[in-house]
Amino acid sequence: MSAATETKTEANTKTVENATCTFCGCLCDDMVLTVDVDAHKITKAKNACVLGKALFLSHEEEDRPFALIDGKPATLKEGVEEAAQILTNARFPMFYGMSDTTCEAQRQNVALVDMVGGTIDSTTSVCHGPTGMALQGVGESTATLGEIKNRADLVIYWGGNPAESLPRHFARYAVTAKGMYTPRRKKDRTIVNVDVRRTKSTPVADIFIQVKIGADFELLWALRALVKGRKVAPDIEKRTGVSLETMQDLVERMKNCRYGVLFFGMGLSMTRGRHFNAAAILSLASDLNEYTHFIATPMRGHGNVSGADMVVSWQTGYPFAVNFSRGYPKFNPGEFTATDMFARGDADAGLILAADPGSNFSQYAIDHMKKIPMIVLDPKLTHTAKLAKVAITTSHYGINTGGTAYRSDGVPIELRPCLESKYPSDEEVIRAIYKRVEQLLKAKKKTKSANNKRRKAA
Amino acid sequence: MSLKLTLKKKPSVPVEAESICPDVMEGLDLKQIAALPLHHGNEQVTVGDFFKVTGKSNGEIRLEGDTSRFKMVGDSMSRGRILIKGSIGQHVGVHMSGGEIIVAKNASDWVGPEMSGGRIIVKGNAGHMVGCAYRGGQVGVTGGEIIVHGNAGNEIGNTMRDGLIAIGGNSGDFTGVGMLAGTVIVLGKMGWRNGAAMKRGTIVSMEDAEMLPTFTYACSYRPNFLRLYLRHLRDAGLPIKDAWINGSYHRWSGDSIALNRGEALIFDR
Ligand code: SF4
Repeated sequence: MSAATETKTEANTKTVENATCTFCGCLCDDMVLTVDVDAHKITKAKNACVLGKALFLSHEEEDRPFALIDGKPATLKEGVEEAAQILTNARFPMFYGMSDTTCEAQRQNVALVDMVGGTIDSTTSVCHGPTGMALQGVGESTATLGEIKNRADLVIYWGGNPAESLPRHFARYAVTAKGMYTPRRKKDRTIVNVDVRRTKSTPVADIFIQVKIGADFELLWALRALVKGRKVAPDIEKRTGVSLETMQDLVERMKNCRYGVLFFGMGLSMTRGRHFNAAAILSLASDLNEYTHFIATPMRGHGNVSGADMVVSWQTGYPFAVNFSRGYPKFNPGEFTATDMFARGDADAGLILAADPGSNFSQYAIDHMKKIPMIVLDPKLTHTAKLAKVAITTSHYGINTGGTAYRSDGVPIELRPCLESKYPSDEEVIRAIYKRVEQLLKAKKKTKSANNKRRKAA
Repeated sequence: MSLKLTLKKKPSVPVEAESICPDVMEGLDLKQIAALPLHHGNEQVTVGDFFKVTGKSNGEIRLEGDTSRFKMVGDSMSRGRILIKGSIGQHVGVHMSGGEIIVAKNASDWVGPEMSGGRIIVKGNAGHMVGCAYRGGQVGVTGGEIIVHGNAGNEIGNTMRDGLIAIGGNSGDFTGVGMLAGTVIVLGKMGWRNGAAMKRGTIVSMEDAEMLPTFTYACSYRPNFLRLYLRHLRDAGLPIKDAWINGSYHRWSGDSIALNRGEALIFDR
């Protein structure tokens, strides 16, 4: 990673090198952006894939009010005041989101939730949260994408479609990338794809294994048994759609490769069995370490969702679904995960930072969100922002705001903004809310103790 | 006469109520009991704020009203009795080591997690994670009994080491997952992937169940111990058929990925 360089070419354009694309978990940090300063637009995004190009080239700052309160335009100060009032008066506020913002903002968000005694959860809980739970149970054999690129000679994609969700995954890291010990690129690697259907990722694979819908766990379990030299029930083909010979062939390949990697997606972590599916694939990788070096790692979608896990773990000791009602962190997915807390009607207020649960949560959860005061921080007028009491417009991270983001393998990458924005960053807004809530809580404490004294005197 | 707590107003958000426990309330007068702390979200309140406290504390507590938002009732309880007239919230009887909790209606998720003794009876349905370990924990229930008359959710008896969990209705997926020992009896139908990674222990079901590919069929027989268990459950009020007491069961052993010393007994005829 060389330092970002800005070169002014003509009077009205500039180039930003080594910029980072935040669209997906690949977090490519080799973008060369050409910016038309007068038009306030990005005109070229060299090295970006289709999705990255769409992110950069279609970027346009919408002319929105700084804040909306009950749908009516308001100033930033009014928005912050209203948000602070909501949080000060809430007993069980839910803080959710954090996938599309910087680690710096995430960190402030954790400080805020700690102060108000709320609950914090990130979009991890609706993608690879189960993987986090599995990690806790069975551990993880892992590596960075750089190591995988240089060493892996057997790459298995399971339950994910990187060709469409992480377009440069193949070229940068695992299939056609040139590595230290894989100089002949794809010729030096065997690529396997396991999925319930053929996807756009299937054509890169040398071997495609189609598993029956809902039988991933059984297939993984059978593979684990074969790796350990145990018997497998004879009806396994009927159950999983995969013949015993295919399994045995895969097991031999896995045991005899030099360096194997299992990349898994939401096809495992978000289908029936969830954390057990993730635990099964992580355990398979551990089992294989008896024979060779094997790792398993989730493919994370959103830009900085890994960062949310990192920051929340670093600050609270747990990756997501953390509650501060009692003043200390408590972790319990199912109890403190946002979908569950909204669907059960537990939360009495919400702060949504850089996510749009209003578009993908269950109807029960959305119905409850409509009933309680919600605060939304987002550059766009999202579904959630439309049903919020306070919606504050913020700048785009990665384009307008710098900071840190974590790649899906846990490597921190610096963002290099290229355009200025009139809107504040998420971090600035959260800091402002924090400051105001601090004052309000102090005042609340004072009146409470004064009331107590008066009551005692009476 | 027992101690009676009658709900005055419904909480707006869940309440953590580990004070509602015979061990805590025993020997206190009504005023002291009313002053015990409860946690209403992030705010500390008192028992008296939510409940009318009457009767006398003699080791038995009666909870009246809709208490479905009260969590952790009977936390670490070692003796006495809690009678819950309505439904109860999450974590009822957490870390309990003795005494009895009877829930007249439904219980939410996490009934008796990591309990080591005593008995919990739920007359209605229970949620997920009945008698389990908390996330990150290695060992779940180490003793005691949980009897649910209705249905229960996923992961019943996750990593339990000892004790008995009986479900009168159906259970969800991963029943008895990672069991180290102990007994889980489901009178209805179990979900998917039961007994995954179990080391020892027994899972019993009266309905057909699909076993994981790592379980092997052993034989069909009449296990003696099961008669005792079923009679015991009949005494506890579950509708146990004579055919189940006298019948024979298919025995599957597994999970071969773990120790292969566990068993699943599926009612045959
Ligand atoms: S692969 Fe992802 S991070 Fe890289 S350019 Fe494409 S969208 Fe951006």
